[in-house]
Amino acid sequence: MRALRYAFVLTATAVLPLAGQRPLTVTGIQSLTFGTLIPGIPSAVSRTDAGKSGRFDVGGPHDAQGQVTFTLPSVLTGPAGATLPLLFSGSDAGYSQSQNIGSQIGFDPRQPFLITFSGQGRGSVFLGGTAQPAPTQRAGSYTGMITLNLTAFP
Amino acid sequence: MKRTGLSLALLCGAAPLAGQGVVIAPHAVFIDARTRSGAVLLYNPNPEPAEVAISFFFGYPATDSAGSVVVRTVEHPDSTSPSAAAWIQAFPRRLTVPPLERQTIRLLATPPPGLTDGEYWARLVISAKGGQLPVTGPADTAKVRVGLTLEVRTIIGVFYRKGAVRTGVSLSGLRTAVVGDSLAVRARLTQQGNAAYIGSAHAALVDSTGKTLSEMKAPIGVYYTMEPRWALPIGALAPGRYRLRLDLSTGREDLAPELILPSPPVRDSVEVRVP
Repeated sequence: MRALRYAFVLTATAVLPLAGQRPLTVTGIQSLTFGTLIPGIPSAVSRTDAGKSGRFDVGGPHDAQGQVTFTLPSVLTGPAGATLPLLFSGSDAGYSQSQNIGSQIGFDPRQPFLITFSGQGRGSVFLGGTAQPAPTQRAGSYTGMITLNLTAFP
Repeated sequence: MKRTGLSLALLCGAAPLAGQGVVIAPHAVFIDARTRSGAVLLYNPNPEPAEVAISFFFGYPATDSAGSVVVRTVEHPDSTSPSAAAWIQAFPRRLTVPPLERQTIRLLATPPPGLTDGEYWARLVISAKGGQLPVTGPADTAKVRVGLTLEVRTIIGVFYRKGAVRTGVSLSGLRTAVVGDSLAVRARLTQQGNAAYIGSAHAALVDSTGKTLSEMKAPIGVYYTMEPRWALPIGALAPGRYRLRLDLSTGREDLAPELILPSPPVRDSVEVRVP
């Protein structure tokens, strides 16, 4: 039954996207980078730090709106299950319609942010944050995932 | 194996992130009940393969108490909700898009029997992950090192239309407030008919001679009732009486006209007093 349904879908007349509609893009360009940390010393990365801040490029049809939300880890996972706290505060994210890191509108990465694709239909989202290693932080590599969600309206 | 690869990348230091994500078209899919199928094109513009996963949920744009547009997600829609999330399927649901190549996702609707005429909604989630870790620098297991990977999720609307579909919007409670150098505009919008109202809002502030002093245009989608807030830049407006006009129409620049359900324009206006 499932195979039949799949075959039907493959052979059905597809409603192809219209040529007039510009595509939607979200691209992870650069991840938030903390490098090597010293136990007990918090490390903050500003969203305006070109070398270390996270960057996502977004694009969409002219006149369309989209909502940006982040799924952020509160801790990073390391050796033998050790964790390292990660903190994001109220202005750790920024949006630049000109894709210029020096020209951002700050926003809270823990809250939804509405963008409108105008002009070139592109923009960039930047992200900073603070890693907080404990004084007794176990040495090793810690990993986590940052997810950017772009919901296109209508 | 995946964990081993991850650790190796962390220890050895990976190359700078080459870009993760896919290009998606269109940004809204309209499925007609006569064909019950649709398609979404994915293109991977990056030099690394993109792992893509497809899923659905039920949600729609709404406004919060401040008038900001947000996506309201309903995890368990009841039988009265116009949700198509449970009966639209994507083929395939998982795929790898090679570098610089495109793939088509087919959508198939299998609505329950006896579905009444109207429009039904779902949100299609396209999750894309690349293969590289963004960690640089020399390997040193005696130090605390952090590596964060990126995932991007693009969520687009899927609209299933069956039979006679019609839309409209009612406008009430138009009000304004001067906030700094802006005029905040709010209104209550309620969807009419059996389909979402997809259109545009145009607000203009005019003086007593009818001259436009400030205006803005924004796309809107009214699925139930919402009270959006818009802001018009007004600078240092001289004290006096003005008029704010708000027009709602079904014209949209980002959607093909044949996809738009037409509806007569709706207008209202309100006096603005600047002390």
